[in-house]
Amino acid sequence: MTAQFSRISVWTVLKWALALVVTAIALFPIWWMINVVFSLPGEPVSINPRLWPTSIPAGVEKIRLIFTETDYLHAYCISLLYALLTIAGVLLIGSLAAFEFALFEFPGRGLLFGVVMLSLMVPTAVTIIPTYLLTSQLGWLNTMRGLVVPGLASAFGLFMLVQFMRAVPKDMIEAARLDGASHVQIYWHVALPLCRNALVTLAILTFMQTWGNYMWPLIVGTKPAIYTVGQVVGLFNSPLSHQTVDMVMTANLLAAIPPLLFFLIFQRKIVEGIAMSGTKG
Amino acid sequence: MPLRRLLPHYLMIAPFMILFAVFFLYPILSGLYYSFHAWNGVTKPEYLGFANYQKIVLSRDFATAMRNLLTYVAITVPLGVLVALGLALLVDSFVGRWANFFRNAYFMPVVLPAFLAATIWRWIYAPNFGLLNMIIGWFGAQSINFLNDTGTMLYALIAVDVWVSAGFNMIIILAGLKEIPAELYEAARLDGANKRQQIVHITIPMLGPVLFFVVTYGLISAMQVFDKPWLLTGSSFTSYGGRRNALLFPVMDMMGRAFGGVRFGEAAAYGFLLTLAIVLLTAAMFGLRRLKGWA
Repeated sequence: MTAQFSRISVWTVLKWALALVVTAIALFPIWWMINVVFSLPGEPVSINPRLWPTSIPAGVEKIRLIFTETDYLHAYCISLLYALLTIAGVLLIGSLAAFEFALFEFPGRGLLFGVVMLSLMVPTAVTIIPTYLLTSQLGWLNTMRGLVVPGLASAFGLFMLVQFMRAVPKDMIEAARLDGASHVQIYWHVALPLCRNALVTLAILTFMQTWGNYMWPLIVGTKPAIYTVGQVVGLFNSPLSHQTVDMVMTANLLAAIPPLLFFLIFQRKIVEGIAMSGTKG
Repeated sequence: MPLRRLLPHYLMIAPFMILFAVFFLYPILSGLYYSFHAWNGVTKPEYLGFANYQKIVLSRDFATAMRNLLTYVAITVPLGVLVALGLALLVDSFVGRWANFFRNAYFMPVVLPAFLAATIWRWIYAPNFGLLNMIIGWFGAQSINFLNDTGTMLYALIAVDVWVSAGFNMIIILAGLKEIPAELYEAARLDGANKRQQIVHITIPMLGPVLFFVVTYGLISAMQVFDKPWLLTGSSFTSYGGRRNALLFPVMDMMGRAFGGVRFGEAAAYGFLLTLAIVLLTAAMFGLRRLKGWA
């Protein structure tokens, strides 16, 4: 009995130790970034190894400097606008199409949906250059249009919304139709409210993806006026940059805040959305 | 059905389908066309036949990029999935609040944009200021320039990669774990199976389809790796790949040919070559799945 007991507690101790060590590995780089920002600039690592924040005012001052002395604030607004417009477009266009594909029969439905689902298998590597060339021919380089529009027909978004729309009861649609509701009214007043959860999840995932998109803004936006946060962070880090580590880390921290905040608020939805893409995909 | 009845359906899917056709189908077709032409984006495209493809396959950068990619994929995908599986089992062994806490903590790096993970780690790896060299210093060892030493660069990238992707795969595996019926464990326990035996004989086989998805998806994204090596090496379109091209990967090579060399036809051809490799690999994975009878 004692042997059994001690074996369990050894296992439990090891398990906790492992779990805590992994927590440290996962979180420490983020913690370290915060510490670098909130410490006096120029203090050598041997004196202050940045293991915890040592000077809040220094951090605040760095944030003030980056907003006033560089174009960071402008890039921040561009990134936010890019994300918000993409979310609005993906949700609207995707839900309109998902409503039809999930709930109605019409000639060509299977074929069209099949082609879109097939596109999920096509790697970005093959489309990015020609999509850039098209965007350039349209004269959309260095514009918000160029950033947003090519990404609006999200096959993943359609897939996800169709999964949820299928659960809308056909009876409710029939009942609404008998009450004299038009097609668009049924979409807006019946189907959309029932899919609110799916829409919120898709909005969050789209935000994460757009905020983190590095490659597309890098090639479409070549002028500083349209730089996104990702590009500015990349430039600050480039070998030719004159920025100090303090400025670079402040830029990094500010870029991390929106996704971290989103995660803390919506963690359940994010986790469910990702789990769904894996298990039902 | 009369057209009048069908029209609303087509109108509702029209915005999606038009954008899909213009920004997905057309680029693929036009890309195929460009891949057989020399084109700088300004003058008239000039037909070359398969010359672009030939030029890429014979180029030294292509060989380097493919060699790097092979090593990278062969390590990062199995390692990433193993770590994710371990994390999922670890989180699953806790209950309630702590299970949630650890799951969220391990997931946190996934939430950060990849460009951010790369830039934070670039400083962790830095020779003078960096955290890692500080820790090495405590043990009295010589400072290592992780991102400029051709012997360590690839492994430095893999570490970042696992740090970022493990949490993502963990979530998917955790969802798979939840779907395994509890009766199976119950029965195994009654038959006297211990924890380890339960994991080997129930958990892993039952996770088959989920692990297959995680590995296949991991392979496809690893083959297109771009942000992380690009930023870790501080690349630009005129100079990329890091010291001695030790962190040169196919998508970087493709982007360099397009925007550094202004050879769009060649870059388009590169995209198709890489896609061919991805399709072959995915087909092999599905073939293996059928052979082994998973799912």
